[in-house]
Amino acid sequence: METTAWALAALISPRPAPPPVEVCARARDWLLQAQRTDGSWPPFPGLPQGCWATSVASEALYLQGGAQKAVERGLHWLLHEWPAEGTVWRRLCHALFHSRVVGQDDSLRGWNWTPGTASWVEPTAHVLLFLRSLPPPMLPPLASKRRQLAERMLFDRMCPGGGWNSGNPLVYGVAGVPRLGPTAWALLALGGYAERTEIQRSLDWLEGVYHTIHGPASLALAHRCLTAYGRRVPPLAPALDELYSTNHFFDNVLTIAWVMLALNEGESGAAPSTGEAATR
Amino acid sequence: MSFAQSSLMPPFMRPPSRVAIVRSGSYDCDLGALLFTALREFDLPVRGKKVLLKPNFVEPDPEGVINTHPAVVGAVRETFLRLGAQSVRVGEGPAHERDTEGIVETLRLGDFLGPLRDLFVDLNLDEVHAINLRTRASKLKQIYFPRTVLEADYIVSLPKLKTHHWAGVTLSLKNMFGIVPGCCYGWPKNVLHWAGIAPSILDINSTVRPDFAIVDGIIGMEGNGPTQGSPKPSGVLILGDDPVAVDATCARVMGLVPERIDYLAKAGVLLGHLRPEKIRQLGESVASVRTPFAVLPAFQKLVAADAK
Repeated sequence: METTAWALAALISPRPAPPPVEVCARARDWLLQAQRTDGSWPPFPGLPQGCWATSVASEALYLQGGAQKAVERGLHWLLHEWPAEGTVWRRLCHALFHSRVVGQDDSLRGWNWTPGTASWVEPTAHVLLFLRSLPPPMLPPLASKRRQLAERMLFDRMCPGGGWNSGNPLVYGVAGVPRLGPTAWALLALGGYAERTEIQRSLDWLEGVYHTIHGPASLALAHRCLTAYGRRVPPLAPALDELYSTNHFFDNVLTIAWVMLALNEGESGAAPSTGEAATR
Repeated sequence: MSFAQSSLMPPFMRPPSRVAIVRSGSYDCDLGALLFTALREFDLPVRGKKVLLKPNFVEPDPEGVINTHPAVVGAVRETFLRLGAQSVRVGEGPAHERDTEGIVETLRLGDFLGPLRDLFVDLNLDEVHAINLRTRASKLKQIYFPRTVLEADYIVSLPKLKTHHWAGVTLSLKNMFGIVPGCCYGWPKNVLHWAGIAPSILDINSTVRPDFAIVDGIIGMEGNGPTQGSPKPSGVLILGDDPVAVDATCARVMGLVPERIDYLAKAGVLLGHLRPEKIRQLGESVASVRTPFAVLPAFQKLVAADAK
């Protein structure tokens, strides 16, 4: 599901050539058929539960247009899907047994990968990006509340030295090591806070590891993120050529979609804005 | 057949298990020859079979401390082919890192295996099928597993010898978390944590039990594992036909008491042998290679009295 949504997003992203209309329409129809009655999208068609792919599918459909109702239903599901760690019982357990194990504020909730589990950095970032893509009139009051809470959660989950891992910045008092994916997604989602020291420190970390990246998906994501913040990075296409000459890549549509998004944004100058939207 | 045909039985009904400890001081020696000699002793039923190796690849790690070393993966693959396996593929679904390709390229896995396109499967992105779990240790009743895993005739768990900040240790049974696909459950597969790490380990291994386990302990990890601990050169490969017995032996080599490790104690009830008298020891003895591992304060209770 997520792969199709990313592929659609890549195909409709601004680029010199027009999008392949028929392919995009088929992707849209497939996504619409796969939407569950509660508005969510499962990981695969027919699975009994919605998941994080709901944000990616909703955003792709919104950007393509012509699926307003489906987008609204996806938005509704996301806004009412609360991660499980914030209940009074869980917070009491955390305070009693785990507060010295993981150092994070569980009252700050974003979004989970799957229902019934905790908030994590990447799914939270995907929903924030989706919310940012929507015009304000489409957003109910709950969206503002959840966005503020999720942004605070992301800052709370930042690794002490900058950057993000999946979502445990401190375990047994030891600072977590940032990972590229969560760092790039969190930075893209927190685009409205470019001037904050934590953001700049995280960008410094990402810039520092950029030359060590061996996977095309990570390279594209890092390039997209650094470009969005105006950091100078080497052109993406030659770097991908170099990786391809040694790796040959796996057959991975999601990777190709992320690469296309990064290349298209580079060509069109349509890098995701860092100055808009985020509500303080 | 690995999936759903392994026997769940109490220790008194189960025949003794076999575990071999092989000394190897570095990754540069002829690991293929060492493993071939050791594995021939087991007379494994792999001729004509589709073998799947499940290493522990966590994140890009140029130092070679976190992940199963690619030299071990390559040597195991070569050995199973020499033993007559029809095919030997490698599959992994990292828990926290979505860019599996980035991990295997950082490891230079292709240098040890050859072109990866047809050999390596990203289990996080494979086609999945819902499988009812054979035990109910956790609240999970069903898990989606990758097709590559379900279609394998013979599964070999290939973990690293490491401590783990949630489970105490991560060895061949915990390594099977990596067959649970991220495309269904995310990165990390948080549903397993919420269902309980130990119960989830039991349910996964009761349903898709590794047929064989080979633990890379040439350089292990102690302290704050599985990613932030310190390298621990232990100079051993520990292998056997019962993953519970292999993990118990690893724990003893690490100076830990296996009966005090939650998931392992429970695994000893139905999945394999924990007690040394039920484990036929081949190769080196535990005592001769014992290398006590440092553990986090929360896991001091696991440490054997004579290893403190």
